[in-house]
Amino acid sequence: MLFLKMAFRNIFRQKRRTFFTALTMIGGFALACISIGWADGSYNNIIGMFTRGWLGHIQIHYKDYLDKPSIYKTIDNYNEIGKKIMEIKGVKSWTARVYSAGLASFKDKTSGVSIIGIDPEKEDKTTDFHKKIINGDYFKAGVKNQVLIGKGLAKIIKAKAGDKIILVSQAADGSMANDIFTVSGIVSTDDDLFDRTSFYMKLDDAREFLVLGNKVHEIAVTVDKLKEVKKIDKKISLVLKNTDLSVASWQEFAKDFYKAMKADKGGMWISLFVIILVVAVGVLNTILMSVLERIREYGVLKALGTRPGDIILLVLYEANIIAVFSIFIGAIIGFAVNYYLSLHGIHLSQSFTYGGMKFSEIMTEINLRSFIIPGITVLLTTVIVGFFPALKAAKTDPAKSLRFH
Amino acid sequence: MSDKKIIIKTENLKKDYKEDGVVVHAVRGIDFMIEKGEFSAIVGPSGCGKTTLLNLISGLDTPDEGKVWLDGKLISDMSGKELSDFRRDNIGFIFQAYNLIPVLTVEENIEYIMLLQGIGKKERHNRVIEILEEVGLSGLENRRPTQLSGGQQQRVTIARAMVSKPKIILADEPTANLDSKTGTELLDMMAELNEKTGMTFLFSTHDKMVMERARRVVVLKDGMIVDKKEIDIV
Ligand SMILES: Nc1ncnc2c1ncn2[C@@H]1O[C@H](COP(=O)(O)OP(=O)(O)O)[C@@H](O)[C@H]1O
Ligand SMILES: [Mg+2]
Repeated sequence: MLFLKMAFRNIFRQKRRTFFTALTMIGGFALACISIGWADGSYNNIIGMFTRGWLGHIQIHYKDYLDKPSIYKTIDNYNEIGKKIMEIKGVKSWTARVYSAGLASFKDKTSGVSIIGIDPEKEDKTTDFHKKIINGDYFKAGVKNQVLIGKGLAKIIKAKAGDKIILVSQAADGSMANDIFTVSGIVSTDDDLFDRTSFYMKLDDAREFLVLGNKVHEIAVTVDKLKEVKKIDKKISLVLKNTDLSVASWQEFAKDFYKAMKADKGGMWISLFVIILVVAVGVLNTILMSVLERIREYGVLKALGTRPGDIILLVLYEANIIAVFSIFIGAIIGFAVNYYLSLHGIHLSQSFTYGGMKFSEIMTEINLRSFIIPGITVLLTTVIVGFFPALKAAKTDPAKSLRFH
Repeated sequence: MSDKKIIIKTENLKKDYKEDGVVVHAVRGIDFMIEKGEFSAIVGPSGCGKTTLLNLISGLDTPDEGKVWLDGKLISDMSGKELSDFRRDNIGFIFQAYNLIPVLTVEENIEYIMLLQGIGKKERHNRVIEILEEVGLSGLENRRPTQLSGGQQQRVTIARAMVSKPKIILADEPTANLDSKTGTELLDMMAELNEKTGMTFLFSTHDKMVMERARRVVVLKDGMIVDKKEIDIV
């Protein structure tokens, strides 16, 4: 208590120095806080958007389907698998898809298309699919052979909602598949290339059209918490242990993005390290100066019978009171900036597209770790850096320091 | 004399300092004793080794040779922490330059040692009030040292040294920074407190007035004792 009181009063002896030390710490803390909030926020945003956009957090395919897609590489009994997945804690939703290719004709226009069979209800739960419809309506229950086409494709074959399109493809049994589909709506996903070929039909229609029976090509899963993806990925793998199916989390199927993100987050640690260095130098300078100035006082305290350990405490208290105060102020600033940016975001000068989503704005995030990491960093730096001057103060030779000059 | 207790005893104390390659023999073989309750002085010109001798006695400095006993205990046998605690409990310091802690109030400066000793708040306060009355500073307990005159600061130092009731008070030229009137007042006060409490006072000084009041005077020159006087006060 006594030493805390002395430390507290000592802080006000050199107001200017205390002010600049605090400023260094506040600046360091706030910068680190904002940069962590920014890095976490922007990436969580992007991940959230592209996984919710189409890809999901976890995907299931036949072994090498992603490398060499084929209509024959299927997931059998997908409904049973889906039920088992839903039993895993933390899973939010799942949806099954069928993929193939075909030729679509409307009047005198014909174009190659990607056939995508989706479960109207589950797909909407997983990827908010209905929000992508810019014209017409989403699938209606009980109506057969409805189709949603990409806006690029609509332009190419000059079709609009209500038009009837002839689709030709090859079925899984080798036979020729052809049928007439009615355009129910036009879809836009931000990915123009994708929209130029996309031809969405109801999963049941697609399975019947392609004679796939109870088989699909892809299951996409979303989870409640991004952090739990890897854990849930493992659990799903366990469920599918004895099958020919492979499970991949977004970190695997969006490998390039994941790598770039990790590299960028590594950069965040480097900037944190630079901040530590700046704070460390500032703190060392302050503490060393005040210790050297007061060496005579430490000599008196020692002569009076103060133990060296108490003098170390006295010096460390002083630095840490400034640190705690600075963290408090820095947290207010960091919170305010992160809060503002989480609402308004930062506009990118160049937008980019990933996983069928367009990104033109980055939002920061307010999370606990953007306060805890810089907080611990500032305190730890202060204690470590302060320890050496504190030791010097504690080792003061009273006889020498008290000699009257 | 034999029935009186020896409280400070030194044996062949030696201390050299080296500065810029030149060796200074600050203390060159000093033997002397001080009895409990005495009011004594080490006198001699500046640089004769008074401060060094006091520092060796209190254990603030370690001798190159020789031994120091305080209250029958050989202090060179003590560990750093032991010595530090021994000093806290048995020696009160009065410095020429006062050396009060500027961020602490008069009361906090005086109670500092009692705090280290773990004495309770109420008793600390009572003892501070009591000693402040003895040194004539009643009512100034909340002042900071910078708000006091030199003489008042030295009174606070005296209070700080005495409040925890140590056996020995070591005072290194306590009046050197004060005008002679203030110095005399303080000396009379300390002599009175010595009578009253029976604490042992050992001064270093070249102040004639200290010598006049001392029971025993040890005269130093170039780090050696050149004269000892024992005055019997009847
Ligand atoms: N730390 C030191 N380093 C070098 N010389 C010292 C040191 N301390 C004291 N001395 C020298 O030792 C001698 C005795 O000093 P001191 O004990 O301070 O004398 P006094 O207190 O009687 O004036 C002086 O010559 C002084 O210069
Ligand atoms: Mg001296």
